[in-house]
Amino acid sequence: MDLMDKLTILADGAKYDAACTSSGADRPGGGGLGSTIAAGCCHSFSADGRCVSLLKVLMSNNCIYDCKYCVNRSSNDIARTSFTPEELAELTIEFYRRNYIEGLFLSSGVLRNPDYTMEQMIRALEIIRYKYDFWGYIHAKTIPGASPDLIWRLGLVADRLSVNIELPSEDSLSRLAPAKTRKAILRPMAQIAAGRQQNTRELAHYKHAPTFAGAGQATQMIIGASPESDYSILRLAEGLYGRYELKRVFYSAYIPVVEDSLLPSVETKPPLLREHRLYQADFLLRQYRFVADEILSEEAPNFNPYLDPKCNWAIHNMHLFPVDVNTASQATLLRVPGIGPLSAKRIVAARKTGRLGMPELKKIGVVLKRAQYFITTADNPTGLHTGREATVRALIDPGVYSAGMEQLSLFGPPGMGLPALPGPGDVATVAQAAEEVVACLAKAM
Amino acid sequence: MPGKSDVMPCGRRTYCGRANCRHTAHCRKLEAQQEQAAAKSGADVHGPAQGRAPRPRPAPSPKKPLARPADVVYLYDGSLPGFYCCVYESVYSHELPLAIWPEDDAPPTLFRQKLIATEQDKAERVRASVPKKISAAALELVETVYLSCLAEKEIAMLRFLLLGYQRGRPVMQMLGHADVAPMLAAQKHLGGEAHLLLGFVRFSDYDGVLGATISPKNFILPFIASHFVSRYAQEDFLIYDKTHKAALIYEQGRQRIVPMEGIVFPKASEAEEAYRAMWKQFYNTISIEARENPRCRMTHMPKRYWENMLEVQDLL
Repeated sequence: MDLMDKLTILADGAKYDAACTSSGADRPGGGGLGSTIAAGCCHSFSADGRCVSLLKVLMSNNCIYDCKYCVNRSSNDIARTSFTPEELAELTIEFYRRNYIEGLFLSSGVLRNPDYTMEQMIRALEIIRYKYDFWGYIHAKTIPGASPDLIWRLGLVADRLSVNIELPSEDSLSRLAPAKTRKAILRPMAQIAAGRQQNTRELAHYKHAPTFAGAGQATQMIIGASPESDYSILRLAEGLYGRYELKRVFYSAYIPVVEDSLLPSVETKPPLLREHRLYQADFLLRQYRFVADEILSEEAPNFNPYLDPKCNWAIHNMHLFPVDVNTASQATLLRVPGIGPLSAKRIVAARKTGRLGMPELKKIGVVLKRAQYFITTADNPTGLHTGREATVRALIDPGVYSAGMEQLSLFGPPGMGLPALPGPGDVATVAQAAEEVVACLAKAM
Repeated sequence: MPGKSDVMPCGRRTYCGRANCRHTAHCRKLEAQQEQAAAKSGADVHGPAQGRAPRPRPAPSPKKPLARPADVVYLYDGSLPGFYCCVYESVYSHELPLAIWPEDDAPPTLFRQKLIATEQDKAERVRASVPKKISAAALELVETVYLSCLAEKEIAMLRFLLLGYQRGRPVMQMLGHADVAPMLAAQKHLGGEAHLLLGFVRFSDYDGVLGATISPKNFILPFIASHFVSRYAQEDFLIYDKTHKAALIYEQGRQRIVPMEGIVFPKASEAEEAYRAMWKQFYNTISIEARENPRCRMTHMPKRYWENMLEVQDLL
């Protein structure tokens, strides 16, 4: 089998991994080949709109495990192959020289046993790092069940490590991935977190101490293959950020690849809107200083399909609005729908030289489409006095009627007495449904 | 030990006497008040600052504009020093021209035209005044916008500088001002394009030398140079900017940007073709059909970059 075929098979097996970020490591070139930028760098965008930053491949798709949701499960009838460490190293370097990629994202099926797989991966990465003197980005996925010293060695050659949490609960894990246990997943996660803390201290004392997973760790879970509520997923993510200091949690809408009685049928569309809402909420946790309990609760455990989580929070907390852009703190501004970290920072900087009105806000780049209903400005000291319905109509996510014709959550309606999403193609229903939603949300305000 | 005589009028213990001491202005005001009171009562309360004549403060400058709109068009040679000479001319003849155009591609006009000669010493004076009277960031902004694709950028730069000379350092905070916002927007546009190009450049290996073509709207070569130089320190490479007819050349550890009318790359070798094919194959494989979203792709990777990108060239 030639390299082209191997690349095709092993890239195809890796494409369902959500992450392709190259951020978190800031390492200017050191004389060898390559460098990294803290913000990361996208080199291309695939037809599904996802960033292609790293050469995302599997070391091998020859897996001994039989996880029900996975395209590489041992019982699936597909072509199997593996890269040799040398092949993979050369391919990575040649792609990198041509500026196709920012680095390598290496994952693998479990070949023979976890430790053997990890050794193969480490060999490939060591060739890249030491033989080719490569300074670019490497993201490696640890294999569940591998021994701690191999994880340590992997962290010395990779910038970012990740351990896939796979499914949001222990129960789902035991049903769909019987060979993996929650404990076996969390143990390396804890080891990486502790290793990084220790490494930070070492680096403070010894400048040339080897860096262990400098760009931190991430994880990924599959959404929509198992019955957890959005609330429990978000709580889980919050816990992971707090406990293991993860840089990112990725959510991957389940795409049916194999038929199984335990899984949604193959015709099910991937819950893309739900995934989108989870990412929005995830940003609220990481960059907007929200906590999970503000976004969702036991009583309303699923996302509102019509509103993004921040708008949804805002219309249920109207007593906190409007806020005055000329006096409100940066943290308060961050809670206004439509104002993000950059806009908040700019507002705080710009108001030092004069009071801000709507035209000034527009000029400094604040998007007012949603924000205008929640702020007061110099030229509008009492805020907009539109009715509740007009406010809600402006906040509704337009994506919900185009891309979002899908079942948001497998188990349960959106809640709050909202109508279910209309079926695709039925324009009359859509317009009617939109009016119903507006009335319903306005009442909730 | 500071004696009682060292106490300043405002109550501070020591009198540093430095011109930029933030207490000095306050002290002078108090001193003046005390002197006035003393002149009235005939007693001398001139304690600590004896012998230190208060410096005459410059009269507050009236906020009238430095230059008045005039029906004149400046023509210059298109260089950055040439632009600085236009600023010099504008300030010293108190006129804000209607437009500043490079003389080579100036459209015909009925307005009075003034050909501004480039003089190095004038340009140097203007350039040096920017960090002194405004800030270093303002100089960086002006020189960045000079390389941007902003329409009528010269007049925007002049308006910004005139405002800056009047307002000083805070002008960089006036994000919403009509003379500042377009400058910041142009800088952001250039910065954004430079960042995208870091990823979108596609090199081919021509017998050990890497070559690439780009066609950006802004002249971003100076902004991406350091990134590629540090990334490919051991390689020799060339990036040709088709729009601005210039090339970034890095060979044997030295980089330079040179004007270049055109370039013809040699035919790709067999190995090169093989890697190109593998990259295309990887690109096509990595996409998930169930999530296809061409609009999203175009948002992140606008079509105008596609002509130089191997994997999407064929889709155009």
